[in-house]
Formats: sequence, structure tokens, C-alpha cells
Amino acid sequence: MNVKRLLERVPADSAAQERAWAVVREAYRAREPARARRPVRLRVAFAVAGVALACAAAALSPPGRAVVNAVRRSIGIEGATPTAFRLPAPGRVLVSGAGGTWVASEDGSLRRLGSWPAAAWSPHGLFVVAADAGGLTTVEPGSGIVHWSLARRNVRLPRWGGTRTDTRVAYLSGGSLRVVAGDGTGDRLLARRVASAAPAWQSERHVLAYATAARAVVVRNVDTGAILAEHRARGRVRALAWSADRKVLAVATTRDVELFQAALPERMSIRFSGVRALAFSPDGSLALLTTHALLVYSSEGVQTLLRVQGRLAGLAWSPDGRWLMSSLPRADQWVFVGRGRVLAVSHVARRLGGADPTLDGWVPGA
Amino acid sequence: MNALAAVRVAARPEVERRERALVRDAQRGSVEALEQLFRLHWPRAYRAAFVVVGDAAAAEDIAQESFLAAVRALDRFDRRRPFGPWLHRIVVNRAIDWARARTLRREVGVESVVEPAAPGRVEGERTDELAAALAALNVEQRAVVVLRYLLGYTPGEIAELLELPRGTVNSRLRRGLDRLQETLE
Repeated sequence: MNVKRLLERVPADSAAQERAWAVVREAYRAREPARARRPVRLRVAFAVAGVALACAAAALSPPGRAVVNAVRRSIGIEGATPTAFRLPAPGRVLVSGAGGTWVASEDGSLRRLGSWPAAAWSPHGLFVVAADAGGLTTVEPGSGIVHWSLARRNVRLPRWGGTRTDTRVAYLSGGSLRVVAGDGTGDRLLARRVASAAPAWQSERHVLAYATAARAVVVRNVDTGAILAEHRARGRVRALAWSADRKVLAVATTRDVELFQAALPERMSIRFSGVRALAFSPDGSLALLTTHALLVYSSEGVQTLLRVQGRLAGLAWSPDGRWLMSSLPRADQWVFVGRGRVLAVSHVARRLGGADPTLDGWVPGA
Repeated sequence: MNALAAVRVAARPEVERRERALVRDAQRGSVEALEQLFRLHWPRAYRAAFVVVGDAAAAEDIAQESFLAAVRALDRFDRRRPFGPWLHRIVVNRAIDWARARTLRREVGVESVVEPAAPGRVEGERTDELAAALAALNVEQRAVVVLRYLLGYTPGEIAELLELPRGTVNSRLRRGLDRLQETLE
């Protein structure tokens, strides 16, 4: 028996090597060594990214002009360096796509959890639920340990809700909506013929909002099956989100954004079409994402924070509610807007091993 | 002198000189030098982690995090010391920690741990057998087997790397090999 020869035959996964090298290289570039000068090409790289962003933001509305100024100030000066891969606020960001599922930490370190194209955080960021064509898997983000898997066909848009001790995962399988307990037991069908929009959990409750293919928005207790509310949407539903206090359900449709008071039959409509994603901040601000703009809705109306020429994709609030995150897939950038500034992180696809990763949420640190 | 500094590398002097030059250049900011160091050490670092934890994704994470730790400490690294043993110690200790943590979680949370991590990919019938045989060893035995037979350290060097008595290393090696032999032959 030649143990040495056998051990050396264990393959050293070359794809893993390339992924790791991309991460290590960026960490190396982002470190703060006792170097006299930063390599010229890094400064150039940042300047190019900054100029591109400044140009893209040229059509900002009045509230956003401070943002443009902030971008101009930052170009090659104060240093929005390609350190880049740090988050501007504490927490961990989950992203997934062709390059797999990744967790990015505040310090810029990246951890690849697996090769799933879709994922979501558990309610308190302790676990990740990931999905692909073959089923559903839950993973510990720190260790990568898989807790349970469920074989289902064509699983999409998983969302994890509930309390710290009793959670539920809702997901789409084919055209149906299913729910399973957080420990992987009790998987069952909740509704057939649902729309291709991610369901939304009320925080700390087993109450789920989802849209049907017939343009109904249904609010339902998943344990009892009771339908708590049902509204007819004015257009095809693209996105749903609950406010943190559970009082308001926001629904983005192809025609407008509708706000439903959970306790009342009335609805309020924001006459603003083209919203593709929406998200409530912890303090109740509602962010809206259109193809080319990032906006915030308040009692004063809709304010534009950022307008770009390229296509924006994905939306997430930082856990402290001070930053909004989106991405510019064609520019291969993540964009952070907050505190009067716009920050850009470049070369996202290269770091994450695949183009156009989806933002799956930003939760507090471990 | 640091205990690890005394660890001898079984590499040729020319290789050592080249590696020292790469570390120096990497400390001065050369990405190319860092890349050469990375590519030089990744395959063995990954294999070592894989053999200890038996999980491809975890091995990737462990090897990657070990290199990240090395990058973070690069400016403080003493170039007179060999880079390999320093990195290998990080890799193997992290792999041991990971494997122990997994075991603990299974013991305390059996109800929630339904499936273990996916098994790694090991090509070839013989290596499949080896993977199965290694899985029968405990994590401490796998670690010393890796250090001895994959990374080429002597029992004395392993004792220093893992901060263990030499007798403990020898007994783990012996038991590990006996068990491997029983399974493979």
C-alpha cells in the first residue's frame, strides 16, 4: 500500500483554485500593507469605475444631486479605493447566481457556500436556504454545513420566515407554492398556480403574502391555512414586501405600487410604474427599484436617489437602514447608496465566479 | 527562536531560495509573486484539507481561508522561515477545527442535522477506497497521516506543527496506518 501515492491522486479541483485565487488576490489588493505607493493600475481602475458611475448618475433629481457631488468628490481622492470589496455598513450580504451562492462579509471576505443559483437568509441570518432545479437545501453560512435537503423539481424563490425557534420556508416548485418547516419536516402544498414573484413573510409570524397567476394577492396563515386577506392587484405582481412592523404590505405590479394596510381593506396606490423590486428598511422607509433608478417613498412622495443609464438589479437595505444596495450587471458593479454618497464595487462577477449574481439579502453580522 | 522556525523543509535549497524571493516580492506588493506562491501551494493545501474533512466544499473554504490568513499576516511574516510549514499548519489546524465542530454539532443537534455535507469528489476506484478508508480514521489520525504522507513532514516536525508530544504523533500514525491497511488490503 502506497499511501503517499494514493493521497497525491486526490484531485485538487482547479475550478476551486481559480475561485480561491480571485478571492485571495482581492484580499491582497485590499490589505493595507506598509507599501509606499499603491500600484498605478489600481488607482486607474478606481478612477475608471468612479468616472463611469459619475457619468451614469448624470440625470439625478434634486435630492440626488448631493449624491453626484459625493461621487465627484470621491473620484481618486478620498479614497473610495478598490478596497472596494468592503461593505459600507456592518453585516453579511448573500448573493447567488451562475457562480454559486456566496456570503460577503463587511471586511470584504467572501465565502462560497455551494453552487446553488438562488438563496435566502433565515429570519435572523443564522442559516441560508438555497434552491436549484433539483430541490431545496439549508446550510450554515459560517461552516457550510448542510442541515437538510429536500428533493423537489424546479425550485425557485425560497423565502424563510418565522420566529427564532419556529421557522418556515416557502418556495415555488414549478407553478406551485409550497411550505416546509425550518427543520425540513412537514413539506406541503400551499397553493397552485401562483405568480412568479417571491412570497413575503410577515416578520416573526407564520403569515405569508403571495400572488396568484390570476393577479390576486393573498395573505395567509400557513399553519392553519386561513386566508387573512385577499386583494385584487391592478397589474401583474412583480414583488411583495412587508414592513418590519407587519402593518403594511407593499405590492409592485406592472402598473403601480400598492400599499395595503394589513388590518384594513383600504389600499393606497403609488402611481409609479416600472417598479421591479421593493424593500422596507427597518424603520419603515420603502425603497423602490426600477430598471434605471433607485427611489425612496415617504410621506412627501417618491424621491430619486440614483438614476443610471445601465440596468439596475436587486435591492437590499443594510441592517442599520442607512445604505441601499443594488447592482449594475452590465458594469459588473455593486452600488451602495447612503449618507449622501454612492460607492461602487467593481469586478463582481470575477470575484464571484459568475455573471449577474442576485442580491439575496443583507443581514447583521454573525 | 520560534518552534516552527526550527521545522525543516525537505525541499531543495534552490526551491527554498525561490520561495523566499516570492515571499519578499509579495511583501513588497507584487501580485505576480503572490500568485506564484498561491499556485505553488494551493494543490497540496486543498488536498490536505480535503483528506482531513472529507468534503470538497469545506476543503475549498478551509484552503481559501488559510491563504487569506496568510495574506493578512504577510507583512509580519519572517522571510527566514519557510512558507510551506507555516501555511500547512494553518490549513491542518483549521481542517481539524472544522471536522471537530461538525462532530459536536451532530452530537448536540441530532434532530436538526439530517444530512451531512455532500461527499467530496475523489476520482478513481482506488482513491474511492482510500476516501472510504480515511473516513474510518478519526480526525486526529487523518491529520497526522496527511502531514506525514501528503506533505512529507517527519514525525518530529509534525509534533512541532501540531504542538503535540512526539509519542502521540507516532501512535496516531501507527494506528492510522494500521486501520488504513486493514481497510485497503
